[in-house]
Amino acid sequence: MLAVLSVEVRKLNRSLALLLALAAPTLIAIFVFFNMLRGKEPQPWEMYLQSSTAIWAFFMLPMSVTALTALVAQMEHGPRAWDHLRCLPLARWKLYAAKAICVLAAVAIMSVLNLALTWGAVTLASTIKPVLVPTGVFDLGAQAVLLGKVLLSATLMIAIQFWIALRFSSFVPALAVGIGGTFFSVVATSAKQGVFFPWQMPINMLAVEPWRVTTALVLGGGLGLVMLMLAVAHLSRREVL
Amino acid sequence: MRAAIETQGLTRRFGQHLAVDGLSMTVPERAVYGFLGRNGAGKTTTLKLLLGLLGPTEGSAKVCGIDVGPDRIGAARRVGALLEAHGFYGTLTGRENLDLTRRLMGLPIPEIDRVLEVVDLTDAARRRVSDYSLGMRQRLGLARAMLGAPPVLVLDEPTNGLDPDGIVDMRRFLKALPERTGATVLLSSHLLGEIEQVATHVGIVNEGRLVLEGEFEALKAELAPEIGLRVDDPQRAAPILRSHDLTVRSEVDGLVVRLRPGADHDQATARLNRDLIEAGVQVFAIGSRRPSLEGIYRDVTMSSAQPRSETV
Repeated sequence: MLAVLSVEVRKLNRSLALLLALAAPTLIAIFVFFNMLRGKEPQPWEMYLQSSTAIWAFFMLPMSVTALTALVAQMEHGPRAWDHLRCLPLARWKLYAAKAICVLAAVAIMSVLNLALTWGAVTLASTIKPVLVPTGVFDLGAQAVLLGKVLLSATLMIAIQFWIALRFSSFVPALAVGIGGTFFSVVATSAKQGVFFPWQMPINMLAVEPWRVTTALVLGGGLGLVMLMLAVAHLSRREVL
Repeated sequence: MRAAIETQGLTRRFGQHLAVDGLSMTVPERAVYGFLGRNGAGKTTTLKLLLGLLGPTEGSAKVCGIDVGPDRIGAARRVGALLEAHGFYGTLTGRENLDLTRRLMGLPIPEIDRVLEVVDLTDAARRRVSDYSLGMRQRLGLARAMLGAPPVLVLDEPTNGLDPDGIVDMRRFLKALPERTGATVLLSSHLLGEIEQVATHVGIVNEGRLVLEGEFEALKAELAPEIGLRVDDPQRAAPILRSHDLTVRSEVDGLVVRLRPGADHDQATARLNRDLIEAGVQVFAIGSRRPSLEGIYRDVTMSSAQPRSETV
């Protein structure tokens, strides 16, 4: 499995995946930076961090997952590499599992970058405009847990996008579903029903009501892992015509 | 001689369409087996069944005695494939592309240099594949198929899209492969000339069915001799030739007459020549010719479609 993973990483290294992984958190950090500079009074660290996490959870995360899964899938669909890969003497599920692990790892790295770049943006803005130096403490542990929950609750959405992107050789179905899911995530961010909608499960990690957090986490994480395993099993068993 | 590839009643159906119909083929070890058929005859589907890319509706396929159905990975260890879709990553170099497959197969690094040398691509190995010509890609595909020195190579239309020089190179390369590597080569093509010049064995597939199989030279030897003619008016010549109870067909370079088995070749030629001249048909050339793969192909594909082949 390590050999298959290393091959996936090598392929991703030479694609635009790194640019994508940097772009989304950077855009959020740029927004936080300029938005902060508009302020006149200092705000607590928690507010800046939650604002960044919210943008990540309801918009940038679903968009990034859509783009990332499409990129990973098109690496094989584009040059029609499936026949070659699937006739090699290795279990086919490993090919798909390696791709799924790479997507999850890339999203995890983007989550960490989001936190790091947000910290950097706030620090830079408060250096330029000292009156805005955040109050309170920068609770790294709490933020890491929150971002972990966002990632875990996004697993169901990731599994759906992953399956569609790999199942269809055209990138259009995956993009259509991703854009549609993100659209409803943005326009109905606070909808109660959103807790059952895979694209809105991550934003529910910021909900005040504990039931919403728990429900979205269990559904998004638990069902997501099951869905991801089913997706890998289905993709490795189906015939690619 | 042991069979490197063997199928029994291999059948594959796509909905109502029967792509491969009870195909039983045997590819002997160290043969260059030309798998011949027109586009859509079922060649690629058969190859995909052999590689385990598709599952059979019925029947079985074995590679080096290993049944592909229950042990796809075991069979895959013994076969290297060059498929129509190469599946190379254009942003990577030729060497890097080979290295990805090498890693997936768990082979040592020197294996890359070995296969690059075999296909004479060592100098271009550090160039990106997107800069490769089609011929170079084909050779890189062959190199990749040979990683791990599998005893069987399955090559789907390896001369497709090559320029004349590339075709000559590929032909020379394929012909020498069994001797150089000890591998058995299953080579699919719709180009009769290519197969004729390379193959030791031939299998002809038509509408999903294997209509002829055997050692190429033996097949030709079994055929009745032929006489080739060039005349001024083939339409007038045809009834005269038929009156001798011969099979007559028209080819690009003239008429071809198939004698009955055991017929005296020289006597028949002299008789035909005399009768044609007496009937006022000008004969530009007449003489015996070796039965060609084209002739064999036309005979078996037409006879599988209609009971008797007699066309002018």
